[in-house]
Amino acid sequence: MITVTDLKKSYGTTVALKGISFTIHPGEFYGLLGPNGAGKSTTIGIMSTLVDPDTGTVTIDGNDLKKNPKQCKQVIGVVPQEIALYNDLSAVDNLLFWGSLYGVSKSDLQIRIEETLKLFGLFDRRNDKVKTYSGGMKRRINIASALLHKPKILFMDEPTVGIDPQSRNLIFEVVEKLHKEGMTIVYTTHYMEEAERFCDRIGIIDNGTIIAQGTLEELKQQGGEKESLVITGKGITEEIVSKLKSAGYTLTMSEGELTFLSANLKTEMPKMIVACNDAGIEIEHIDIRRVNLETVFLSLTGKQLRD
Amino acid sequence: MLTIAFKDIKIFFSDRRGLLMAFVVPIALITLFAFAFGGAGRGDEKPEPRQLVIADLDQSNESKMLISSLDSLEEFVVKTTTADSATELVLKGKRAAVLLIHQGFGDSVNKQGTPVLEIRSDEGEGPEVAILTGALFGRLNEYVGRMKMGTLYKRSGDPPPQGILYNPQPAPNLELKQTSVIKQKENSAGLVHAVAGTAIMMLLFSVTAMGMGMLDEKAEGTLKKLIVSPINPSSILFGKMISVNIISMMQLAVMFIFGWLVFGLDVPSHVPALLIMIFCTAYSCSSFGVFLVSFAKSRAQVQGMSTLVIMTMSALGGSMVPSFIMPAFMQKLGVITVNYWGVQGFYDIFWRDLPLTDPTFLTRVLVLICIGTGLNLIAVRLFKRNVLALA
Repeated sequence: MITVTDLKKSYGTTVALKGISFTIHPGEFYGLLGPNGAGKSTTIGIMSTLVDPDTGTVTIDGNDLKKNPKQCKQVIGVVPQEIALYNDLSAVDNLLFWGSLYGVSKSDLQIRIEETLKLFGLFDRRNDKVKTYSGGMKRRINIASALLHKPKILFMDEPTVGIDPQSRNLIFEVVEKLHKEGMTIVYTTHYMEEAERFCDRIGIIDNGTIIAQGTLEELKQQGGEKESLVITGKGITEEIVSKLKSAGYTLTMSEGELTFLSANLKTEMPKMIVACNDAGIEIEHIDIRRVNLETVFLSLTGKQLRD
Repeated sequence: MLTIAFKDIKIFFSDRRGLLMAFVVPIALITLFAFAFGGAGRGDEKPEPRQLVIADLDQSNESKMLISSLDSLEEFVVKTTTADSATELVLKGKRAAVLLIHQGFGDSVNKQGTPVLEIRSDEGEGPEVAILTGALFGRLNEYVGRMKMGTLYKRSGDPPPQGILYNPQPAPNLELKQTSVIKQKENSAGLVHAVAGTAIMMLLFSVTAMGMGMLDEKAEGTLKKLIVSPINPSSILFGKMISVNIISMMQLAVMFIFGWLVFGLDVPSHVPALLIMIFCTAYSCSSFGVFLVSFAKSRAQVQGMSTLVIMTMSALGGSMVPSFIMPAFMQKLGVITVNYWGVQGFYDIFWRDLPLTDPTFLTRVLVLICIGTGLNLIAVRLFKRNVLALA
């Protein structure tokens, strides 16, 4: 459905993508996971025709993106990171406008708008101006506006940033429903829970490079099946981290937390705690985290996803 | 394209502050300017040399001497032509007044009679005509007086007394007849100026504000969504242009209807010409607004610049005050502004009563269309480079 080959993109002296390649199959839910600035949005931007790559090719539904952009655009729906709506128009007017750009007839559009508004729980507020909506409601309309032409592929760039739990859950339900109906979804996020919950396959992107990709299980294996021990306490310093690293531990420090990584945590955990005590750390809280995308990312990059 | 245009129009009418700026503020300013300029006159002198057109029907030595004397003065730049051409210049609004030296002028001087000179003028340009006539009368009286004295002493054989140039007696050496070729009527020139000048200036502000909507779309992310849709990127700009044009035409139409209903501007007698000029002015102003916006990458960049550019253009182009008040070089600069051609076009319609087919009127129409098209062509290129460049 989508083939990306050796994409490179620089903004001035900043290299955003260093030659990434991947394939997304029809009906697949593909997640691009990475910290802020890793290159996720640039990748989505290129695939959705918004950004021109320096080199590389993208094929969407059999069409070369550069040669046949219009055909590619017709089969994709894009949910941008920002809420891109006309605040002075009602939800219905917004949807009528966005839908009509894709050549959907007015009668079809009206039926689809009604269905979509019901799906997103906004039918009762359909004639209110968007500026009167909450952030979560706007997010829902933002997604709805990308679905009216029934795209084969949906690009979603961090669609749940900054919204209330109710809207988040509703979006999750819709996304799962679309996936079940066979829509190919490309989803960028830095929330590992979302990637773990939805994605058939995940590409982990960091510094403009895909450092690993596969199913969740495959990624766990690639990350060495490592679990993590998170220690919160007083007296955690860079100096202590260096000492512990020189003692042979794999760990990172972030926001007053020490995160140890180990493929054999059960055995090594007591030693880690003792080492922390000996280093002078006043331990306040200990948390064991099973193998997940966070630990995979940590294991592969030495950094945390939220860094 | 039309979808984008209708969407923009819908947004425009939902914005109360925008409507206030587009319609109510200009109406308030028109009212103010109409009271300020409607029929008011001025008599202050201008140090800049004045263009003086003279038609010499006498072709005598005396008339040529008079023209030469006037031409030697720093205060006038003299140009000679035929009587018909001179009158035409006034009728077409190219000169406020011209001087005619009638046949028999030389004979009258030689016979110590009272030669008659004629000033043909546009009554609507009252203040400018008054200034010109005031400056001219003293000089004419002086030179005709000299010529008459010279003739007298030449005849008697005595030299003329030193130090006496002419006799500033109450009885003048000549008669200066004034003829209005365009007379005051229902559409006073001041009223036409108040409505047209203000409407165009305010239109420039509002089209720039509307154009800035494109930069807002960029900032808010809707432009990205438009770009990823299957429409041609140029359609985004053209759609915006259509909406700005339609709203501009409506705005100008409302201004003139207001001028008609409240101040008695004779709109019903000039509907076809008015529609043409409204279309051309709106097109030209809209293009200017889009052009100004296409220079910038953000709203903040446009805001400061637009106020300055529009106020300067309005001052130079005669939107704020009649251009004759300004120095000559500024009057010349005014020709490069949309305001000048628009204001003059509305003068042609309401004051000069020029027919639709008149070359002067058609020239103004053509210039406005050319300005609009030229600005649009540049705007498209700049827009692609500055506004569409999201990456």
